[in-house]
Amino acid sequence: MNDKKNKSSLLVNFKAIVKGIWQNFIHELKTTFHDRGVVIMFIIGPLIYPLLYSTLYLNETLVDVPIGVVDNSHSSFSRQIARNIDATENLKIYSNYSSLAEAQKAFENSDIHGIIYIPKNINYKLSNNEQATVSVYCDVSSFMYYRTIFQSCSYCILNMSKKIQIQRLSAAGITGASAAMIADPMPYQNISLYNAGGGLASFLLPGILVLILFQTLFFGITMLAGTSREENRFHLLVSGNAHRGRIFRVISGKAILYFLIYSVWIFYVLGIIPQLFNLPHIGNSVDIINLMIPFLLASIFFSMTVSVFIPNRETSMVLFMFMSIILLFLSGITWPQSNINGFWRTFAWIFPASHGIQGYIKINTMSADLQHVSFEYISLWIQAAVYMFTTSWAYHWQLKKATKEKDNA
Amino acid sequence: MSNNIFFAIQRTLKRELKRMVSRPIYLLGSVGVMAFCYIFFLSFMNEGQPQKMPIAVVDLDNSSFSRQFVRNLQTTQHVNIVEHIFTFKEAREQMQRGEIYAFVFIEHDFYKKLATNRRPNMTFYVNNAFLVAGSLSAKDISYMCLITAGGIQRQVLRAKGVADSQIVGIVQPIAVDMHSIGNPWINYGTYLLNVLLPTMLHLMTLMLTAFCIGVELKERTSKEWLENADNSMFAGLVGKLLPYTFIFIILGIIGNLLLYKFMHFPLNSSIGWMFLATCLLVLSGQALGIFFIGLLPVLRDGITVAGIFGTLSVTAAGATFPVEQLPYFIRELTLAFPMRHYFLIYVNQALNGVDVSHSLTKFIILLSFNLLPLFVYRRLKSAAINMNYPTK
Repeated sequence: MNDKKNKSSLLVNFKAIVKGIWQNFIHELKTTFHDRGVVIMFIIGPLIYPLLYSTLYLNETLVDVPIGVVDNSHSSFSRQIARNIDATENLKIYSNYSSLAEAQKAFENSDIHGIIYIPKNINYKLSNNEQATVSVYCDVSSFMYYRTIFQSCSYCILNMSKKIQIQRLSAAGITGASAAMIADPMPYQNISLYNAGGGLASFLLPGILVLILFQTLFFGITMLAGTSREENRFHLLVSGNAHRGRIFRVISGKAILYFLIYSVWIFYVLGIIPQLFNLPHIGNSVDIINLMIPFLLASIFFSMTVSVFIPNRETSMVLFMFMSIILLFLSGITWPQSNINGFWRTFAWIFPASHGIQGYIKINTMSADLQHVSFEYISLWIQAAVYMFTTSWAYHWQLKKATKEKDNA
Repeated sequence: MSNNIFFAIQRTLKRELKRMVSRPIYLLGSVGVMAFCYIFFLSFMNEGQPQKMPIAVVDLDNSSFSRQFVRNLQTTQHVNIVEHIFTFKEAREQMQRGEIYAFVFIEHDFYKKLATNRRPNMTFYVNNAFLVAGSLSAKDISYMCLITAGGIQRQVLRAKGVADSQIVGIVQPIAVDMHSIGNPWINYGTYLLNVLLPTMLHLMTLMLTAFCIGVELKERTSKEWLENADNSMFAGLVGKLLPYTFIFIILGIIGNLLLYKFMHFPLNSSIGWMFLATCLLVLSGQALGIFFIGLLPVLRDGITVAGIFGTLSVTAAGATFPVEQLPYFIRELTLAFPMRHYFLIYVNQALNGVDVSHSLTKFIILLSFNLLPLFVYRRLKSAAINMNYPTK
């Protein structure tokens, strides 16, 4: 008898909770879609931003960077160097200059981004079995220029160097297998396992995509919180009237809504965009989804916790927009994670974005399994739990304050 | 008349200074954020270039030769051998975990093959998903391979009786002499900080300008603001923005001093040109801020556009990916970003030390951004008086 009663009261209780969550969900849904600013953050942002950034970095590598040649030797050999360099994909010979000073002028006018200087004595040295030197000057205003010019020139010159080597060996009476042995005693190969083309977009964009999800979610949630504070009589996050339910129902109602909206974006931003723009996508989708569940939960509760301190609608935008760039660095993709000092690494640990970015890149670009990203995966679950707790605590605090203010009034 | 304007500006200035201390956002958004950025970036990249990045070795040969190679590799600048692994699979998995950025694979009987002229293979695998770490470690490993091969060549040639004077010419017939103009250390911080710190300054100028005007529209105090300025929009704007102009220019100059005097990044012309460029960058940021909030006189819209524009400035400047190689229509669009012109001034002046006449047009363009508020002058004024735009 007693048992039955208990059971039915449990059922009633459960129904009440579900109903409470449902009411809060609908309430939040209405506020969200009535607010143009939040719609921009939750809908337009994740839709447009990935397209914009993918278009910006459409060209992965540099093609035909103009460089100049100062050929003081006027030999067939020096012309061969210039032709070979011109034939590379990355560089093109913009013009020949009669002196370094002239080439420098072209460099100052930004006509060329690098100079190849072939000294007068090169032919003499080559025919006398001596070592000749070719100088390369490159623009370092961008890391890409330096990398491209350095790699293409060294490759071309090394290649020509090999040919001369064989000639000289045969002149010294060494031919056949032993010449090949001396020319290349231990052939070495540089194999890039991921992002084989060394493209900038393949390297940078996967991180940016995750960051877009995190930032729009953060700004949307804090904007909603700021607005409800502004509209609240006591300038608090929750009012006793609007949410008669308990903290749990308020929080879960909201979180479920955000989660549902963003699960659609996960598919679009992390699934469709990489295919559309031919960014790396060799990861297992189930693993990505598996990683993104704690990532979304952690990001939602993180934003909800921070939102308690946001007094106005626009505050978070003004104060935290700059964090987008900081977070990209903290995530350890541009600057290697191993070289971030302890303090900033701990600081980075606070943000779900840094684990989300690392985990996503490892799975999506490097085809890692979930077990390889266990550190990120577990960290995200810990964050989700901790931030859920802090959110409840913060909402509880706000609600208590609200009831107190109401009683006083 | 001119006297009136002067007093109007003075009154607005007084009003603004009171507003400024009434809420923490103004000082947090300028001094707070910039102080954080300076501390963050300077301590974050204090190495200049990533040093000693973790890599692994799969040494299946384990001969005295291969061990010597590994020891030599350990002494290079960028790599640090943290693990000795015995299977390829395990090494690959360590790479996927992100524990190492590269690994060298030395095959079985490497030395035996070498000694018997069978040309063994040395292979190294690099992770370019982290492009900077990958290409820097690849550079050191291939350098070490080249040097080791050179050593073997030298030994064999000596054994063949080739004279020492001739050996250099055979081992390396053509040497490449690399010069990086302006940044001979290839300091990675130089590439990034010279753009990122001004961009942060620019971003905060944009946002705070749009905010401090927009908040008047939102709180419906804009009419009072204008009345206080004798209904002169000019006086109202000047009085309102002057404190921020002052704060941001000071912050910008501190930034310049940190970059060129404290960090000793390349400065091949007078620092005065960089000061001038920074001042113009602040002014153009404020002009754009007015433009955005005038175009969209709703606080939230204004700062959203300002924020997006500010973060896009990193790309538009051209430090990450050269502007000349962006898709065509985007290339033209970058001219609308003050950071693009600032970046070109920085490259010409601080980095390359070119004659200032090359930067003259860029200075003028930066200055001409200040004409932008004229286009929204009437729109903003009517919005301020009528207060007919939504508040949220």
